[in-house]
Amino acid sequence: MTLAEGVQLVSFGLLAAMMIGTALGVVLLSNIVYSAFLLGGVFISIAGLYLLLNAGFVAAAQVLVYVGAVNVLILFGIMLVNKQEDFKVIPRAWIGKAATGAVCVGLFALLTTMVLGTPWALSSATPVGDGATVLIGIHLFSDFLLPFELASVLLLMALVGAIILARREYIPDEPVEASVSDALTLPERPRDLVSAGKSDN
Amino acid sequence: MFVLSGYEYFLVFLVICCSVPVLALTLAGLLGAKGEGAARRTTYESGMEPIGGAWIQFNIRYYMFALVFVIFDVETVFLYPWAVAFNQLGLLAFVEALIFIAILVVGLVYAWRKGALEWS
Repeated sequence: MTLAEGVQLVSFGLLAAMMIGTALGVVLLSNIVYSAFLLGGVFISIAGLYLLLNAGFVAAAQVLVYVGAVNVLILFGIMLVNKQEDFKVIPRAWIGKAATGAVCVGLFALLTTMVLGTPWALSSATPVGDGATVLIGIHLFSDFLLPFELASVLLLMALVGAIILARREYIPDEPVEASVSDALTLPERPRDLVSAGKSDN
Repeated sequence: MFVLSGYEYFLVFLVICCSVPVLALTLAGLLGAKGEGAARRTTYESGMEPIGGAWIQFNIRYYMFALVFVIFDVETVFLYPWAVAFNQLGLLAFVEALIFIAILVVGLVYAWRKGALEWS
């Protein structure tokens, strides 16, 4: 075993241990904020595994999209609704737990059969590393140009829609009577002024 | 076979990044004053007196910044292969990327005009 292979093996072991540990923390910790932060650890470990597999672009996308975007949104969602409340114990909670367990075991079995059934060998012509990223760029700006530009329009729509929804200007307090004239106009609620510096407890 | 070539600087950077918080906390623990007291246990909040608990519900206004950030974060994913393949692509791809960015700048201007980027 050469030095490089040793480095790769040690890195894989560290990343795998980190991934399993953080994933267990996500599931087992009772504080949901800790779970969300550990989920970021899971995503970063997966990005490290992609790097080890010489998939640089996928690793960068993993860090940008999952760690940067998805995890931030999850954290914000938790922090916005994170009220310390005593939840009532649901009667017959074991049914839900059993259903969750069955779904998880089924998903695990499905993924295992997929992993075992996939031919993993790459042909030597497959570009890896930076070559793959360059190839993605060339494809993106030649034959996939229209989807690329449409993605920007899609992002624009998401941005505008998110702003409109987050400002809560057009969300009525109570359901409006459905009539022909009302259906065409969106009721607007006056914006209440809140100080951004202080968070209302 | 893959040998992690080109990632030496990344690994060094990663080690430095990971050691900075560890060093900061251990050095502070070693060198800091050992006096016990109520003031020692309070959270340092830029010299301000901390008000209330840390486990509170955050203001909904912060969500707007997260949403705007997420959109431009995803935009970065699309621009990354363009940046890597910049030398092979040429002028036409540069114009196409400018169009891509211009469409999203419209969204940024909309967010700006709607006051989504302001604190109050």
